[in-house]
Amino acid sequence: MTVEVCGMSGDGTIAAGGLLNEALSRAGFSILAFDSYPAEIRGFGRCVTRSRVGDEEMLALSDRTHVLISLDDEQSQSRIPFLAKNSAVFFDNNPPSYIPEERSIASHVEPGTDLFGIPLADLATRAAGSARGKNLTALGGFAAVFGVPLEPFQEVIKKKFMPKGEKVAEANLKSFEAGYAYALKTFSDRLKKIFVPAKKAKGPEKVLLSGNVAISQAALDAGLELYFGYPITPATPIMEYLAKALPERGGRLVQMEDEISSIGAVLGSFFAGKRAMTATSGPGFALMTELITHGIMAEIPAVIINAQRGGPATGLPTKTEQSDLHSAVFGGPGDSPRIVIAPTNVSECYSYTLKSFQLAEKYQTPVVVLPDFFLNNRVENVPLPSASEGEKADGNIYPDKALKGKYTRFEITESGISPRSIPGMEGYNFSTTGLEHTERGIPNYSPENHMMMTEKRHRKIRSALTDLPAPVEFSSGGKLDVGVIAWGSTFGSALEAVNRAQEKGFKVGALKITSLFPYHADIIRGFMDRCEEVLIPELNFEGQLANLLGHLHRKDVLRLNRTTGIPFPVSAILEKIEEILGETKR
Amino acid sequence: MQEKTHYPTKNGTRALEVIREITFSTDPADFYYMDVNVPCQGACPAYTNIPAYIRCLFEERYSRSYELNRIANVLPGVLGRICSRPCEAKCRHGEPELGQPVNICHIKRAASDFKEAGHIYMEQLFAPLGKKVAIIGSGPAGLAAAHDLSTIGVSVTLFEAFEEPGGMLRYGIPEFRLPRDILKAEIDSILRLGVTLKTGVRVGQDLAMEDILADYDAALLAAGCYKPLKLEIPGEELPGVYTGLDFMIQVTSGRPPHVDKRVLVIGAGFTVFDCARSALRLGAEDVSICLRRTEEDLTVTEDEVFDTKREGVKIKSLMLSRRIIGNGQVEGVEFVRTRPGEIMPNGKRSITPIGGSEFILPADMVIVATGQRPEPLDFPGERDKDGVLVAEKETFRTSEPNLYVTGDYLTGPSTVIEAIARGRAAAEKIAEELTGQKFREKAVRLEETKITDRLRSWDFIPRQEMPFISPIEKRFSTPNTEVEIGYSHEQAKEECKRCYLCYLHYEIDMSRCIYCRYCIDVAPRDCIKMVRAVETNEMGAITGFVETQQWRNVNAIMIDNTRCIRCGECVRVCPVDCISVTRVELVERMLPREKAS
Amino acid sequence: MTEEHFVIIGNGPAGNQAAVTLREKVPEARVTMIDKESTGCYKPNLLPEYVVGKVSEDKLYISPLDFYKAKGIKLRLGQKVIDVNFKGKEITLDHKEVIRFSGLILALGGRPRIPEPLHPFEDLMFTLKTIADARRWIQELGKVESVLIIGGDLTSFAVAKALLHLGKKVSFILDEDAFWPVRYNKEIYEQAAHQLTQKGVKVLACRKLKGVLRRSEHSLQVQVDDRKIEVGMVGAFFGLVPDVKFLTRSGLQIERGVLVDEYLNTGFEGVYAAGDCAEIYHPEIRDYWVSIGYDNAVNLGRIAALNMAGGKVQADVEPESIFFVKDIRANISWWMEF
Repeated sequence: MTVEVCGMSGDGTIAAGGLLNEALSRAGFSILAFDSYPAEIRGFGRCVTRSRVGDEEMLALSDRTHVLISLDDEQSQSRIPFLAKNSAVFFDNNPPSYIPEERSIASHVEPGTDLFGIPLADLATRAAGSARGKNLTALGGFAAVFGVPLEPFQEVIKKKFMPKGEKVAEANLKSFEAGYAYALKTFSDRLKKIFVPAKKAKGPEKVLLSGNVAISQAALDAGLELYFGYPITPATPIMEYLAKALPERGGRLVQMEDEISSIGAVLGSFFAGKRAMTATSGPGFALMTELITHGIMAEIPAVIINAQRGGPATGLPTKTEQSDLHSAVFGGPGDSPRIVIAPTNVSECYSYTLKSFQLAEKYQTPVVVLPDFFLNNRVENVPLPSASEGEKADGNIYPDKALKGKYTRFEITESGISPRSIPGMEGYNFSTTGLEHTERGIPNYSPENHMMMTEKRHRKIRSALTDLPAPVEFSSGGKLDVGVIAWGSTFGSALEAVNRAQEKGFKVGALKITSLFPYHADIIRGFMDRCEEVLIPELNFEGQLANLLGHLHRKDVLRLNRTTGIPFPVSAILEKIEEILGETKR
Repeated sequence: MQEKTHYPTKNGTRALEVIREITFSTDPADFYYMDVNVPCQGACPAYTNIPAYIRCLFEERYSRSYELNRIANVLPGVLGRICSRPCEAKCRHGEPELGQPVNICHIKRAASDFKEAGHIYMEQLFAPLGKKVAIIGSGPAGLAAAHDLSTIGVSVTLFEAFEEPGGMLRYGIPEFRLPRDILKAEIDSILRLGVTLKTGVRVGQDLAMEDILADYDAALLAAGCYKPLKLEIPGEELPGVYTGLDFMIQVTSGRPPHVDKRVLVIGAGFTVFDCARSALRLGAEDVSICLRRTEEDLTVTEDEVFDTKREGVKIKSLMLSRRIIGNGQVEGVEFVRTRPGEIMPNGKRSITPIGGSEFILPADMVIVATGQRPEPLDFPGERDKDGVLVAEKETFRTSEPNLYVTGDYLTGPSTVIEAIARGRAAAEKIAEELTGQKFREKAVRLEETKITDRLRSWDFIPRQEMPFISPIEKRFSTPNTEVEIGYSHEQAKEECKRCYLCYLHYEIDMSRCIYCRYCIDVAPRDCIKMVRAVETNEMGAITGFVETQQWRNVNAIMIDNTRCIRCGECVRVCPVDCISVTRVELVERMLPREKAS
Repeated sequence: MTEEHFVIIGNGPAGNQAAVTLREKVPEARVTMIDKESTGCYKPNLLPEYVVGKVSEDKLYISPLDFYKAKGIKLRLGQKVIDVNFKGKEITLDHKEVIRFSGLILALGGRPRIPEPLHPFEDLMFTLKTIADARRWIQELGKVESVLIIGGDLTSFAVAKALLHLGKKVSFILDEDAFWPVRYNKEIYEQAAHQLTQKGVKVLACRKLKGVLRRSEHSLQVQVDDRKIEVGMVGAFFGLVPDVKFLTRSGLQIERGVLVDEYLNTGFEGVYAAGDCAEIYHPEIRDYWVSIGYDNAVNLGRIAALNMAGGKVQADVEPESIFFVKDIRANISWWMEF
């Protein structure tokens, strides 16, 4: 089920959502949570936290909310249309002054809704001396009614507030317990007792992570010591995380004057043999594109995280979108192939970022990791990720000893990869340039050379296919009436829709695309051939993945596009699948 | 008035001066403020300083609490049991969303119950004036007047027609509501000032009023209302039919009438309930109270009604008695149904009898307690058509010089606390007339203070219920034992915690406020307002606020003391400490005696 | 707001019928129903049979929730009214919401009455008015073998009959104080006692009920006159008192119920009362009349709605204040005398 906490900024909404996620995760449930808050810092906007909780892994957000905890009734009214049938609403039933009918949450809910009125401010004041803890009182009420045991909440509350002092922790704990006790007594004949911790097998330790934290930690596990960047939503938390972590290991984070110098510094670092990273979003990435192609031409590794957001231009900084595929794959002048990989969940945010360093080094190319706002900011509880020695190892292909003294930097090879020396390696000097060049790195404009080098660079990138994650099919195999192909955070919604359609008996399947460039054309075509219809849902207007892959299908792919700024609703994909099936039946 | 306190230092040199400023004000705007903002005190006819005595009791200063009561109301132990509690109806804690009113009356009783055994009574005595005043009637009005006149320096003689003093307190209220010893002790504390009490003397019969007027400098008639109203219906003279007053007097004099199985009590005041409960204790099996209107129209307190029902008395409504039936002895009463109508100007609901709806209820005894009027007495002075002495309500004067009237004899039946207030007011007037001087005045006392140690959580303490004799049967085996047992020390303290202490005035200093609005954030109600302008009345007191939500129109952030529940949160949170707390109390002050002319 | 807003407090049979009738007669107005219970409208008269399992829960309900939505009636369940300002036409709910209305129908129903002398034992006795009550009965009946019924109202007979069906040992105290709606007299007492005894119920003579004590987890001791009786469970059926306590001192005329005229109007413009909570003055019988039973409540709800929508329909009463209830002839005005 999905639990929302909604309030005005300043009510402690986000904190409450965070504690809810931590506590439920500690109690052994799977969580997928995503907050939304206004662009303004304080005072005048609506904050909503949405947590989907269940026994199994959560793939996507739910369309409907089952529990709404309202810390501000006026703001919460906007959430009522999303309530499921027979949902539960918690609200403060003793506000400081009387409210007219239009502004009351109780007057807007459907009759089957379970209303739980708790005097939040009064209970918090009585327990802790002020109403500040009323967000915790509301959580207490929720925990009592839905049968969540007290201990996980008490533990996470203590853990969160102890750094601020014992008194603060006490006050918050008391506020929570006051709500719990009140609800247990007052609603004793309406308790739901839904949360029974699953008998989980002794599995790996789980931890709540956001996409950004996963990315940052992966970089650190890859041995990152240098970061160059410029803050931009939604990548800024990566910078903040590393700003604290890097100096602790003797590394450095430098905030550059803009994104152009940022990518320049990353290229410079990798050129000198040291791993570095930068993270940005659409507008920043656009600024980087020229230098990225420099890296492509001069075959220098780089790792760029492009956290997509609503565009174009400044666009919608706090909304999610998948409209930078074209930019990531094709952005920049000339024939400039590079590796672009897109994670679909928080675990993949970690593993792909980790892998990107080795890919960049091996294939001597900028690698773009392409998450979107929803992935960057959502929280899932995942097995604690870690990197093996093999995954951390240096990916560079160094020149053979035999070539000492006769080293050619851009030697044309079968794979297209020319072994690479690092400046300072004695006997392996080389020259390099952003101009088109010969194998020896000397500028050259002859028609034959340009054709040859361009082909070499393309071949090199294509050879990365073996190292890149292949598309993964989710179906019973064989012929399918509808095949859904999706990427990024939309894949979770697509997979859940496909699962539900399968439960209804439809012959549908899903294909997960994570390597956007180069892409595994054969596998994809193979899947498409077995599908009567191919549907590609995306959070962009035209269908950028459809544009990229559509040609592999024998007929037009069906597109389902949204530019709403919010994650792709599962129901929309399911409805489209059913519509298509309805059509094809006729 | 400035009080300086000197403290000696080690080497005996000049010490610290601690200066405390207390202001007394007689500005009408301040009186208006008190009326509106300390609603309990404003509702009390005697202007008892309620928050002060509640706070004293909380601090376990029981004797001081008792004395604070005694300043305004000379019979706190008595009123703490039988008062009609107009204060509780106005208590701020009883506002719709705040819960139940404070049990002010029960706290008053606790002060009386817990005062020290060796309690010292405080009286402020003026020097003797050499004047003599006769007071006719030793009920609450007469007793209060006797006390006040004595302290002012007048020599008082109290004439009482019954065998014992107290009036309705002794003869109209049963012992199980007001124990005799409590009444006696408090009457004695008045008599001890040197009042001469003559019982068994009926003025106008045993002694002529003219003689009294000749002997004394003034006479005050406080004889109460002892003429019962009749229903004026056929059968009222049958044996077995009593008036409420006669019934109660017989019971309280120790000569109760024989009570048979079925009793009907007709009427709707306090006396009706006393009669019903007394009848039960005298052996009646089936007692019913018959109301013309409905239970909701009763002025008796809800606790009293509930207690009465709990003892087994039935309450029947919407019936008007038409005639009493019986052959040589009462056998029953014929009633018609009534229809309630609008509320009339006198505050009562009009009723229309429904023709043709007659029915009869059987009864062995009928008690008619439909009210009392003053007795017409053969006294000098102008009288009305009923033979009752006429007097001015403001000055208490009759047309006869030096003859005054107060209490229920002046106003018709009212409540004990009102009678006490009027008795005191009449005493003031008489003293002024006799000497040409004012002895006392009311003033508003202002003193800066800190917020109290009250916690916000105390606002949610539930009302402490008065313990009573249980099971019900026990009440009938010991019919004269007081039914209400009284609070324990813990209960009394808990109930005191509930009082917001509305005598605290919270004010934001506008010149220092930085408009951060932290106070509004922590306010538990709409008590702190963003204000464009204030409305004032002709006295200059603030009567309303013109609020605004537009920042550019906000001229001040102000605390609305009529909404304030004195929780102190605003003071605690204000970053510039610009909210002051002042204790404002309505007090009585002695006026310095002017040189005798 | 120019739109008319009709509010009905109470989602029982009377309130339901009133809402439906209003919706028919005034299609453009807003109609809102408010009830403090969270369940939809159900038939309280079927509760005894539900308790013993003769009727399933879904048969209790009158209309599903969709019904109200389809008719455009806003149903607000689980929300309690704490105050009504009749002159200002405002209702206050217990979570401090204020609702303005142009017309109001009070269909508050009744609440089980416990006579004051028995108040101290309130927690030990079971009443049966709501589904929540019924669930408690079901739970307790699973643990006890004998039940003592104290009272004499119509529900008590239905419950006694139902309990026999379950095989419980049923004893009965016919309390004159609650012999509702019938005026107590010897003849009727004997008639009722006879009928009960015939069915297998043990009728106990009782002059005064002194008290109830808990002896163990599933047994109580009831003190009747000078005897002590052991039973598993005690049911209290002293009739219903109209649930209008929260409206006292609101200006509304209340005796036992809300006093209304033969058109069910309370005296305040646009405010009507219907069902068990209304005490109707009817000029024909020159006395007060209270409806009992499901059908009467529904009828009154209909009439109140018609009159609020501009009609002038009189509530019909039985002539001469006599009516027949289950073969017993009874005088209604006696009702007001407890």
